Amino acid sequence: MADFRAYVIGNLARMAPRYLPFADVATPDLPLARLLRLSLFQISVGMSLVLLVGTLNRVMIVELKLSAALVGVMLALPLVFAPLRALMGYRSDVHRSALGWRRVPFIWKGTMLQFGGFAIMPFALLVLSGYGEAVDAPFWLGPLGAAIAFLLVGAGAHMVQTVGLALATDLVPEADQPRVVGLMYVTLLAGMIGSALIFGALLEDYTPGRLIRVVQGAAVATIVLNVVAIWKQEPRDRRRAADTTPRPEFAEAWSGLMRVPGTLRLLALVALGTAGYGMADVLLEPYGGEVLGMSVAQTTRLTAVMAAGGLIGIALAARVLGRGGIPLRLAALGALIGLPGFGAIILASFGTGTGLFILAVLLVGIGAGIFGHATLTATMRAAPRAQIGLALGAWGAVQATAAGLAVALAGILRDLIRALPDPAHGAEGPYVAVFAIELILLLVALATALPLMREATRRRAAQG
Amino acid sequence: MSANDHDKVWPTGLTLKEAEEVHSYLIDGTRVFGAIALLAHILVAATTPWLG
Repeated sequence: MADFRAYVIGNLARMAPRYLPFADVATPDLPLARLLRLSLFQISVGMSLVLLVGTLNRVMIVELKLSAALVGVMLALPLVFAPLRALMGYRSDVHRSALGWRRVPFIWKGTMLQFGGFAIMPFALLVLSGYGEAVDAPFWLGPLGAAIAFLLVGAGAHMVQTVGLALATDLVPEADQPRVVGLMYVTLLAGMIGSALIFGALLEDYTPGRLIRVVQGAAVATIVLNVVAIWKQEPRDRRRAADTTPRPEFAEAWSGLMRVPGTLRLLALVALGTAGYGMADVLLEPYGGEVLGMSVAQTTRLTAVMAAGGLIGIALAARVLGRGGIPLRLAALGALIGLPGFGAIILASFGTGTGLFILAVLLVGIGAGIFGHATLTATMRAAPRAQIGLALGAWGAVQATAAGLAVALAGILRDLIRALPDPAHGAEGPYVAVFAIELILLLVALATALPLMREATRRRAAQG
Repeated sequence: MSANDHDKVWPTGLTLKEAEEVHSYLIDGTRVFGAIALLAHILVAATTPWLG
């Protein structure tokens, strides 16, 4: 009997590691297949982005007949958590676990939040729209449920992305970081494009039952993708698990990060550039339709052109940086490319034709791709190894907040200028004003980047 | 590796602390999923009541 017990235990102990989610060893070079698998978490993040901003945005307004203002407020809710990314990153940096993990617990928690949000979201939306017996429900139940659902998804997606990127940075040597950043961007884009097509096809014939199936399907897909992504990725660190030295407070860690020369300037650059490129996101399609007289099919293709430009930009940046290019120099180039891009977009309203406009949109996509890749790589490079989560959290907080505010501000500005009683401006007036603001933002970003760039170039020269 | 290791609990071979941490994930997960399920049921009951 005792032999049998020893036999079973021995076998279990031998077999168990295969079925446990720990990485075997911290290998210096990560096989591409494992990196690709890790990047799956970006697909779940892209999926939730598209579901919120694209698919549900339309469903709430067209099928559920909710007011645009209410929809706007609901969709803005996840933005509340964007600044908290820095805190999430910091918490994962200093997390102490008996298992010797610091990233996986947070990715798992984020996954659960995102799953929970999607699980209740369709019912909350149906109550919100007064479907079935919900007309008699207390008036606060629908908004409260929907708000909780959107907040959960937002918090989860921010957490998964911040800590997931930190894990990816942990796992690769510095020379491979540009490749990883490129891969992460490409999977995010692929996830967004793929899920936009899938959700669009699935919700072609809308029924409430189908809405429930699609959104809850997204919930299950989130769990599956994220678990597959983090399985056996993070090695266990027994030394960290046994470490009992006091952890730095958040304020302490933050001021430590800010003491790294150029950090604040880099974050300002990220904010300016992201806002500069981001304001156009929601305005290019209506601009093409209202001012340039393009058809719906043509303006929808604009989004594809922009995404293609983004892919080209990311590929270019990954190539140049992989060969030892200086990230900040490339970031400046990314901001620079936007100047002729937006210039040509403004020119298009003076009757230069849609050909130039589409080319300009492609150029803007390329610039945005290069800029995003280069600033993220620069952030990874500048961060002290122990503070990667915090640094990436700060980058993500600034980037997500700037992008969200830019989109909101662009819409508000256009509507405000359009409502002005001045008859001098035509249909293009409000759009041109916003594009001009983007030009200015990119110019300021360029001015911010130049000193950083000179500093980085000097440091590089001193090294080599 | 021995089955009589004081610090380890079998059959997983985790230390007591590690096992407790794994357990805490299970507890937290149950709580979160329970709360989500409760909220979902309240919302569904509001649209299509199944009692009364």
